[in-house]
Amino acid sequence: MNEKNSIVEIWVYLSGSPLLALFITLAAFQVGLFVYQKSKQSPLANPVAIAVILVATFIQVIDMPYATYFQGAQFIHFLLGSATVSLAIPIYRGLGSLKKRSFPLIVALLAGGGASILSAVGIATLLGADKTIIGAMYSKSVTAPIAMGIAERIGASPTLTAIFAVATGILGAILAPFVLNALGMKSWWQRGFPIGVAAHGLGTSRAFSINHEAGAYASLAMGMHGIVGAIAIPVLFHFFNS
Amino acid sequence: MILGLVQILFFQSLGELVSKFVFPSLPGPVIGLVLLLIWLVINKNISESLAFVADGFSKYLGILFVPAAVGVVLFLPQLKANAVPIVGALVVSVVLTIACSALVLKLLTKKTDTHE
Repeated sequence: MNEKNSIVEIWVYLSGSPLLALFITLAAFQVGLFVYQKSKQSPLANPVAIAVILVATFIQVIDMPYATYFQGAQFIHFLLGSATVSLAIPIYRGLGSLKKRSFPLIVALLAGGGASILSAVGIATLLGADKTIIGAMYSKSVTAPIAMGIAERIGASPTLTAIFAVATGILGAILAPFVLNALGMKSWWQRGFPIGVAAHGLGTSRAFSINHEAGAYASLAMGMHGIVGAIAIPVLFHFFNS
Repeated sequence: MILGLVQILFFQSLGELVSKFVFPSLPGPVIGLVLLLIWLVINKNISESLAFVADGFSKYLGILFVPAAVGVVLFLPQLKANAVPIVGALVVSVVLTIACSALVLKLLTKKTDTHE
């Protein structure tokens, strides 16, 4: 009896400190990375998706409210801002490629970004989705840390935006080769850039795993979409919703 | 590594200040990103320490959005009720986004880049 009590006490102690939330987040992501590597980096075995499913299941099983979990995990969440700032480095490295082909790349970015918003918001509206769902569609093709910042600014849910962004990244990484083959895209830079526009980080890492030039252009597209999206999406959102 | 972190936190703080007082519609970290980019362009150099921190962040960027995305537990009923529009919008939109930017690249580079 005494022994059982002390175990309960340890449990209560742990769940009151950030330790448990930090531990399950890191452990779940490590499991996700392991599965991802074992599956030979299949986009279907995305480590973020695996970690989210594991943590969400775990906190529901032990009946931990999300707010309690987040209180601990906010230390990881905080680093999103710093990670966003550090995206300046891959963008800086890609500036040379941008100078060479700035006109086609900028027009392609604007066309892709526009298509992303119009089609996602249009289809979700036509099929009768809730307003919260539609609001979270606006920045789903922007890299998740920036997309969440944009979501806060336009009054959309950062959580739903993050989920749609991750789902878009997974879908883009899987579907991009088929779309690009169907359109007969041959040069690597022309294959990489659209993946970065549509599927940000997850698409970029997939592009890097196929060809270095494709990856570099995908990474440049992701960075450009982040900056342009942060400026343009709030404007578009107010235009559509006024 | 510490120097790189100091630089990133410095530009992040600067971004937050500019966001608060000058451009409230832009997220602070995005302004910090642009300021750091300008600083790199002026200096024409990325310090080893900054490159180390940035590469670490980009390698494990995914784990940083786990805490927010676990918030999915709060939205499960709503996601279930809207499953068809969500899946439809996400799948069609990602295909159209890739197709539009790919087609633009193809059309705009046909004339100038044929020698490649």
